[in-house]
Amino acid sequence: MNAIKNKAAEQVTPPGKSLFQSLQGFIASIKFSIILLTCIALGSIIGTIIKQGVGPDEYLSLYSEHTYQIINLLGLNDVYHSPWFIALLFLFAINLTLCTVRRFMPAFKGSKKASVPEESAMMDMSMSFRASTSIDDAHLFSILKGYRISYSGVEGKVFQKGVLSKYGVLFIHTSIMLILIGGFVGLVAGFKGFMVLHKGDTKNTITIGGEKPYEKPLGFSIKCKEFQVSFYPNGAPKDYVSTVEVIENGKIIFEKQIRVNEPLSYKGVHIYQASYGSAPSFTFTIGGERVSLREKEAYRNDNISLMPIRFEQDIHNFGPGIMVAYLEQGEPRTVWFVKNIERFNEKIIQGVPVRFVDIQENIYTGLSVSRDPGIWIVWAGFAFILFGLYINFFQYYRRIYIRNIAGGYLVAGIAIKNKEAFKKEFEMLREKLNGIPS
Amino acid sequence: MAFHHKILGIVTLLYLCLFFIHLIFFAFKKEKIVAVMWPLLYGTLGLHTVGLILRWLESYRHGMGHAPLSNFYESLVFYAWCVSLIVVFMKKRLNYPAITVCATVISLFLMGYASISPSVDRNIQPLVPALQSNWLHIHVLTCFLAYASFAVSFISGFLYMFTWKNVIPPRDILDEINYRSVVVGFPMLSAGIFTGAVWAHYAWGSYWSWDPKETWSLITWIVYAVFLHARLMRGWKGKKIAILSIVGFASVIFTYFGVNFILSGLHSYAT
Ligand code: HEM
Repeated sequence: MNAIKNKAAEQVTPPGKSLFQSLQGFIASIKFSIILLTCIALGSIIGTIIKQGVGPDEYLSLYSEHTYQIINLLGLNDVYHSPWFIALLFLFAINLTLCTVRRFMPAFKGSKKASVPEESAMMDMSMSFRASTSIDDAHLFSILKGYRISYSGVEGKVFQKGVLSKYGVLFIHTSIMLILIGGFVGLVAGFKGFMVLHKGDTKNTITIGGEKPYEKPLGFSIKCKEFQVSFYPNGAPKDYVSTVEVIENGKIIFEKQIRVNEPLSYKGVHIYQASYGSAPSFTFTIGGERVSLREKEAYRNDNISLMPIRFEQDIHNFGPGIMVAYLEQGEPRTVWFVKNIERFNEKIIQGVPVRFVDIQENIYTGLSVSRDPGIWIVWAGFAFILFGLYINFFQYYRRIYIRNIAGGYLVAGIAIKNKEAFKKEFEMLREKLNGIPS
Repeated sequence: MAFHHKILGIVTLLYLCLFFIHLIFFAFKKEKIVAVMWPLLYGTLGLHTVGLILRWLESYRHGMGHAPLSNFYESLVFYAWCVSLIVVFMKKRLNYPAITVCATVISLFLMGYASISPSVDRNIQPLVPALQSNWLHIHVLTCFLAYASFAVSFISGFLYMFTWKNVIPPRDILDEINYRSVVVGFPMLSAGIFTGAVWAHYAWGSYWSWDPKETWSLITWIVYAVFLHARLMRGWKGKKIAILSIVGFASVIFTYFGVNFILSGLHSYAT
């Protein structure tokens, strides 16, 4: 039934249609979807061959200047966000919508009431038989397992099974639209950023990457109380765990351990264990006070302000050193501290004695932070597609007609898909009812 | 050598045996030989299962218990297992020696490659944190069952190109097998992609990041979607469909092997 209906709908340009109508027909055709899907696939392939989203230097080391210009012009350095790729997806969404609407409109408008065909028509069907006993309903229902009655009258009955399977394709295609919509919602209303926390740090913003990275306030703060990495005996990482507190309006809301595969969720924001690393921190005594500073972390008090700005593992074979910036009468100055050399590890800055005491490796945790309000639409799309695929491929629609005739009754059956399986089922039915092939 | 390695070694030999039994059949065309074939395949699949379970148990003895689905060696052995499983599952349709011999060759190749290639690490390795998830099992299972169904689709598309009376099944039957295996494989691949996406959401915070392996699985998915539509709506049959199933499988191979060897990305730890 469906296949026949579609054949008619597929006629792209019936004679006498205007250009507009035939264009409309084309946009809603399967031919167009096959073309679009092929283009989307080809575009995706390009995106896996050409490295995505790296700087110009990397491209120029791989390709000639001329090729790089073409890559840049066509947006091949970021295929999946390039205008033409998005346009393809957009066209695909339109095509899919039109196609689905056109395919299912007739089904919703005019679903004809089932009726029992004429005796002669039933005899002509490829699957039919007659039985000469009488039959009671209870017996019939017990034989026709899973069937529902769709028509019942004095002349006979119509049974059907697998009605849902007719809507499998509708489920599949609307779900694809759901996934596209969910993805779009996530793109527009969601964000994805990054947060680096040393033990003890508290932050209420995340860094959103891209061409111009910026800081985005979260609305609450995250404090890293502890971070631990454990390893297998062979040295491979086993577990990363950040113990964090969620703090809002100065109150600790809760504490949780974040691991890979076990994110934290709060107010629709998910926080994931993404990476870790270590950064040195430098211990100074500044006028007698012990202070630990990281690179680019400023120290200020009434008398002095300074900031370690550059760390070197080894300075002229004298060991590790740190360049410190400070202000001298409003003028920025820098000075090197070298840890292992007496002469170079103590300086008087603005009259305050500063001594470089120690270096410590500080481990930090990298958390990826994202919010995606479209996620549940996408999940629903996934679930519906799988359901739709199941009913479309593993269920099928069939009907059984029963007509009362003189001296008994006549039974006929039809199925559009999966005829071979239905034939077997029908044959069993005939044996149970002691039917005689007609 | 660990016990599971011995068992899987025997399994490889059994696949080789199966292959020779087919050759003998093609030489003498005695139906009796085919009658031996199926019980032997069941036995092989059974032992293959035992091998996988033993490896699973063994991993607990090393204090890092995880299903044998986590490195390249394990995925090859698991793929071979899935191919046999699908063949047994579709036994009624696939009851043609020309088809089973191809499936056997695929399993044999996968097992042989897994146990011989110097580039494959056969030890049980610990799971890196990203893989420590229950989604791993369902994701790998669905993907590889899909790949195995597509292998069957490929076999029928490949055989379609040849004729050999009484050995290669008639073309309309090959066409039907091709469609039926895609009908199994397509929902499986969809489930594989979706479970992967859900997992990625929990592990990395985004369900889709255009990583090469993800992208290639999408490409494969599209090829088979085109296959289904071309067949259903444009009425493609026969040779065109056979070619599409070969293209589809090429894409599967690239998704599975090519991406690991040629492109790099989140999934590259799978090598
Ligand atoms: C990636 C996207 C798509 C997927 C995964 C998909 C999936 C499917 C599946 C699985 C079927 C059932 C095939 C069968 O029973 O053998 C189907 C049928 C169909 N699809 Fe799609 N589809 C997609 C896109 C489209 C688009 C864009 C259109 C419209 C232009 C479309 C139109 C149809 C039609 C008309 C049918 C036939 C239904 C029938 O008569 O049973 N599909 N699709």
